[in-house]
Amino acid sequence: MFIALRDLRFAWGRFLLMALVVALVAFLTTLLSGLASGLIKNNISGLVHLDVTHLAFEYNNKPSYRNSMIDREMWEGWRDEPGVTRAEPLGHTMFNARTLDEEPLDDIVLWGIEPGGFLEPDVKTGVQLGAVPNGVIVSDLLVQRGLALGDTFILDRVLTELTVVGIVDEYNIGHVPIVYAPLRVWQEATYGPPGGPPPGEELPAILFDYASIVGLQLESDMSPAKLEATDIDLGTLTIDKNSAYAASSGYREEVLTVQMIQSFLIVISAVVIGAFFTIWTIQRTQEIGLVKALGASSGYLLRDALGQALLLMLAGTLVGTAMAIWLGQVFMAAGNPYELKPDTVIQSGFALVIAGLIGSAVSIRLITRVDPMIALGRQK
Amino acid sequence: MSLRVDAVTLELGDGDQKVRALDNVSAHVEAGDLTAIVGPSGAGKSSLLAVCGGLRQPTSGAVSIDDEVISNLSPARLTRLRRDKVGFVFQQSNLVPALNSVDQLLLLVHLQGRRPGRADRQRALDLLGEVDMAHRADRRPDQLSGGERQRVGIARALMTEPRLMLVDEPTSMLDQKRGHAIVELLAGRCHDHGVAALMVTHDQSMLAAADTVLFIVDGALTAG
Repeated sequence: MFIALRDLRFAWGRFLLMALVVALVAFLTTLLSGLASGLIKNNISGLVHLDVTHLAFEYNNKPSYRNSMIDREMWEGWRDEPGVTRAEPLGHTMFNARTLDEEPLDDIVLWGIEPGGFLEPDVKTGVQLGAVPNGVIVSDLLVQRGLALGDTFILDRVLTELTVVGIVDEYNIGHVPIVYAPLRVWQEATYGPPGGPPPGEELPAILFDYASIVGLQLESDMSPAKLEATDIDLGTLTIDKNSAYAASSGYREEVLTVQMIQSFLIVISAVVIGAFFTIWTIQRTQEIGLVKALGASSGYLLRDALGQALLLMLAGTLVGTAMAIWLGQVFMAAGNPYELKPDTVIQSGFALVIAGLIGSAVSIRLITRVDPMIALGRQK
Repeated sequence: MSLRVDAVTLELGDGDQKVRALDNVSAHVEAGDLTAIVGPSGAGKSSLLAVCGGLRQPTSGAVSIDDEVISNLSPARLTRLRRDKVGFVFQQSNLVPALNSVDQLLLLVHLQGRRPGRADRQRALDLLGEVDMAHRADRRPDQLSGGERQRVGIARALMTEPRLMLVDEPTSMLDQKRGHAIVELLAGRCHDHGVAALMVTHDQSMLAAADTVLFIVDGALTAG
């Protein structure tokens, strides 16, 4: 890179401008990936913190939290299966909620779980489920909407009253805050008549044999074939935790949108870099011919040119990424959903550098085609 | 015998466009001698340089440098030959824009696959001194006059201790006085370094310093 390094110094203005473009693209992709994973995390944080390896839905074309309905036979069937460490039912219903003062709390997702079971999250303040009848653990998002420990709120339509006994971090599903209730409370709210059973009567026992999905902890060596056989046997559809994210509403669309913007950015930067190096190489045609006449192979000149592009891309990417990381800190401090994972940052930076190299590769043909003859005779 | 050109013919283009740029040209240049080739533009001067420097393969005939026939070498071998055995001085000197004078010379060392060291640097400075350019060693081409660029070009051509120096219209951008100075400098350097030099020019006033003068018209050498 004898010439390339001196070129960088000689034509620093042009290269600085180009590095700035690369830096801005790197800045955007990194910022976007931070916002994306923040957004995605916000969508499925409740699922992320669910201590399961798999979820079993009612058998269907597509797993759906809302439409799935499983019975006791299914969760007990899973529990008895060898290779299954734990299996517990989980009820999932969406409600509108309001405070006793008729202040709206908007949408909440009521999750029914077995108190003390492995699906129950550890509270950050308050107590776990079970001590208080109709006591629930709520997502921090509801605290931000005005609920506090000890408050009672009402589920619209079914008029079930719930009391906040514990609070967890912002655990959501489909961006909707989760309210963790004892399974029995969930079953009453979901299947029972509004306001509960008439005085002196009990709800039919059969209602307590249903939930929405089964949370599973499977041993890692359980074969897919075995899984499928159990599914067929019990009439369930089991997917692993990652696929369970995609079943959350909006998740797939959000991920796709962000990925599309990111890939477009990377393609655009490849094209811009390609255009830059095309013009740069064409401007240098005379010089390339000269150096070839002096005895440089095309390989020598290509190493020079691609090394130069690599330096440009690395510098721009580093600066842009650093800027995005810094701004991300500011974002997070302001309470926005923003999350930067080292591996995604490295991945998107790497993709950008590769895209730049691919863009600069257009100059390969230009360089190899230069005839050293042009060094002779009158220069244009 | 440092450069020998034997019955070289060079045809360019195809079919009806075919042009005979060189027609049965024979010449030789001894080490330390400066041979000038004079002719009008389009006479084949640049073609002769191109064939001697391995930039074009002759259609027929043979070119040899130091008794090594080069007219049948592969393009890659020719590139290496240019690098190691041929020094070029181009019109308007043709320097690399981003490099200062010393780096123009050190580039050739780098092309040979070596990291220029202290000894290379000293040699480059010595050569720049020989052409009176030591005081401009850190200047880039855009900071040099036409004559100064040409001096750096001559020093560069000597950097790799070539066997043959090919000089293309070295005075085209210079006035008479500076032109003469450059050609005399060239002749002196070639003599001192024992390099065979072939210089093409269209300017007949530049021939005094040459040991031999050849005339070329329509691709063929004439007696003058």
